[in-house]
Amino acid sequence: MKPDAGTLRVVIVDDEAPARALLREYCEAHDDVAVVGECGNGFDAVKAISEKNPDLVLLDVQMPKLDGFEVLELLDRPPIVVFVTAYDEYALRAFEVHAVDYVLKPVGRERLDTAIERARERRRTAAPAPRPAALAAAARPPGEHLARVLVKDGPNVHVIPVARIDWIEAQDDYVGIHAEGRTHLKNRTLQDLAEGLDPARFVRVHRSYVLNVDRLARLEIQAKDSRVAILKDGKVLPVSRAGYARLRELM
Amino acid sequence: MHPLLAGRLRIVLYLVLWAGIGALLTGLSVLVAPRPVAHAAIFVGPLTLVYAFACLSAWWVCRSHPLGSAPPWRLGALLAGAALQSAGVFTVAAAGWAALLKSRAGIGPDRSGILRDLVVMFVAGFVLYAQSIVAHYLALAFESARAVERRLFESRLSAREAELKALRAQLNPHFLFNSLNSISALVGSDPEAARRMCHLLGDFLRTSLALGARARVPLGEELALAEHYLSVEQIRFGQRLAVERDVEVAAERCLVPPLLLQPLVENAVKHGVASRVEGGVVRIAARRRAGRLEVSVENPFDADAPARRGQGLGLENVRRRLEALDADSAGLQVSREEGRFRAALYLPALEAEDGDPATAGAPAEAPAPGSARRAVEEPRHEA
Repeated sequence: MKPDAGTLRVVIVDDEAPARALLREYCEAHDDVAVVGECGNGFDAVKAISEKNPDLVLLDVQMPKLDGFEVLELLDRPPIVVFVTAYDEYALRAFEVHAVDYVLKPVGRERLDTAIERARERRRTAAPAPRPAALAAAARPPGEHLARVLVKDGPNVHVIPVARIDWIEAQDDYVGIHAEGRTHLKNRTLQDLAEGLDPARFVRVHRSYVLNVDRLARLEIQAKDSRVAILKDGKVLPVSRAGYARLRELM
Repeated sequence: MHPLLAGRLRIVLYLVLWAGIGALLTGLSVLVAPRPVAHAAIFVGPLTLVYAFACLSAWWVCRSHPLGSAPPWRLGALLAGAALQSAGVFTVAAAGWAALLKSRAGIGPDRSGILRDLVVMFVAGFVLYAQSIVAHYLALAFESARAVERRLFESRLSAREAELKALRAQLNPHFLFNSLNSISALVGSDPEAARRMCHLLGDFLRTSLALGARARVPLGEELALAEHYLSVEQIRFGQRLAVERDVEVAAERCLVPPLLLQPLVENAVKHGVASRVEGGVVRIAARRRAGRLEVSVENPFDADAPARRGQGLGLENVRRRLEALDADSAGLQVSREEGRFRAALYLPALEAEDGDPATAGAPAEAPAPGSARRAVEEPRHEA
């Protein structure tokens, strides 16, 4: 067996050292499984998975900085995922992000072996990756609005609480998030991002713009049937007719 | 609708009672105005049947004028008025019926006999209606006593439920799952540590069950439980979890409801230290000042972390238990300042007397009145 083609490269993500040690021990019992990274928090996980590009991630859910779902949402090419957690309540969200398995702690050796076998199977069949919208939806608890937006900037992750966002602009497949004088680019469509935001605070004023209504200073009529929004910092954003209707509904 | 009309059996029993009354009245009217019994029965029967239902109207009278709602003389006058009115209507109906029987069927005594009949009817009508009022008041009193009993039972049940919830929350299954996972890991790499963790976990569970079975426990025992818990968590979190303790000896002797401190400590680990990459220090402090006990748990937290579901539920239960204990002088204060979270519980400082059953493993009952304990007053220390 050629080492590279057959070896399942694994990154282990858990904030407890004993839990990581246990998973490593179980993994290393397989000749064709190599642990290429261990991380204790969400930031490190995003960095390690992006750099090492593993086949499989054994991923805890509750961690410092970013939870497991937020880690996945930030990855450009999410690997095969097996969730390993003490909580059974995330199983549905795990299913939505196409996790191959969901293993509950305490973890038994046979149970993890089954999960690894499923990961091998998934790799052979090359199942389709989850849609970005599903990843985004799973990254927040069901029925809740986004509390913060996560942006990956090279190996680093920026956490932007939604209250700090001024406005968001569509830029092809990306969105530009304007907050406190800086612009963060995120690999997401404006539609997908806007769906997670609180509609009482963020309004799609234009096909390409979402506005935090707290930042709105006034609306001005430019020409017949054409309006612009003037923000408190002086920035001018176009407002479409539908956007104006949405704003009026909110006010 | 009148509750009596709700069941067929009740109506039948009620009418049987009134059949007896009817027989009595028939006998009376034969006595005052001699005639064949059958004739008297034809006169009295229908009237009694109608009056049986008329007397049920006392239910509405009694309900709208509960005993004690007006001065006794006024209530008495009002009820007597109602009975007189009812008896009057009954008598008029009896006069009409007597006249009808006499003119159409030729049944009945002479004029003076009818008058004597009507006097009997009026007196009977008054007495029967008064009886009905008394019976209704008794029934209503019985019913309200039962309602009070039920409410009392329900409130006891809900207090009990809060206690049970606290006890259930105590054995947090995720804590157990994670601990077992750690033990499973240590068995391979560090068997000695695995053994230590088994013992710590066993101690924690035993202490926690023992404390939960008592009504009041010395704070010192609550603190010991918290330490068992934190020792287990320290194995899981390693260097990330540090513990500081600042507890006055005088405070350790104070009695507290069991397992009040534990949710605060678990909160500090789960939502505080565990949410930070670098972890942090959980600081437990307790002191007694001016007859009050103050126990606080402080921890750093990640201000950027989004609120997790379930956060605050444990604290809410602690707050409810403290308020049920003593709404005026017990409570929970929560503050967030400069990245530090602080939860402090306040309650009257009570100390066990020798042989106090509350601390001697008695099953948890509603706390006995303060007579069994004494509040400990202390000279006020200024910080």
